[in-house]
Amino acid sequence: MHEPIIKGNMITIPSSLEYLTNIDDFIEGILRGYEVDESIIADIAISVSELVNNSVSHGNKLDSSKTVSVSISQKNSDVEIVITDQGQGFDPQTISNPLDEVNLLKDTGRGIFIVNALMDTVDVKTTESGTTTTITKSIV
Amino acid sequence: MKLTDREENGVIVLEPTGKIMGGPDASLLHDKLYEFIEQDKKQFIVDLSAVDWMNSTGLGILISGYTTLRNNGGKLKLANVTEKIKTLLVITKLDPVFESYDSIAEAIKSFEQ
Repeated sequence: MHEPIIKGNMITIPSSLEYLTNIDDFIEGILRGYEVDESIIADIAISVSELVNNSVSHGNKLDSSKTVSVSISQKNSDVEIVITDQGQGFDPQTISNPLDEVNLLKDTGRGIFIVNALMDTVDVKTTESGTTTTITKSIV
Repeated sequence: MKLTDREENGVIVLEPTGKIMGGPDASLLHDKLYEFIEQDKKQFIVDLSAVDWMNSTGLGILISGYTTLRNNGGKLKLANVTEKIKTLLVITKLDPVFESYDSIAEAIKSFEQ
């Protein structure tokens, strides 16, 4: 796979950060179709960018033969977004607290913390075939 | 993301536009910042007025520049921080770290004091 593929409400990209903008354009376009407030769109877009960054860099370890998929759907008053990679996953409990004094001025390590702060729910499931992260956000 | 830069009264003003989300776009800001640091520039302002949003990659670039400059007797300050980015700075407790000004002119003036 060398280019992003869009099928309905799902986009799949090769594991390269150069496709982050494709995912952002796709997600923001659909959210505008749902007539979501721009501030909420930004919160969701930031969160999706964090999770795709993680999937590409840490999950799939920039292996371009692997892919990352992002699907989006509206469920009543919520938007649900599912990010799936083919990596080994991570345990959210083992991530250092970026607010600790020793971590505060580090230039990495804030991604999942920001997602947890901006989204209503964050669920991470890891299997042998990869990691699936599901986030939801109320859009009303 | 696009990026312009200029020097005003000895202060480097970096003006990113768009979204800072990682990948090649974010490298542009990081690389330009460090290009000036390597030229021994010490005073920097990042104007965020035209940044729609940034994620932890953007925050990481700002923090990296801030700490590198601080360790070398320089300073990185922010101007025109939007509400969305201010929220991120508050969430991550980075808001007290950065000196922040409502305009580029005020930020430049602060270097004269």
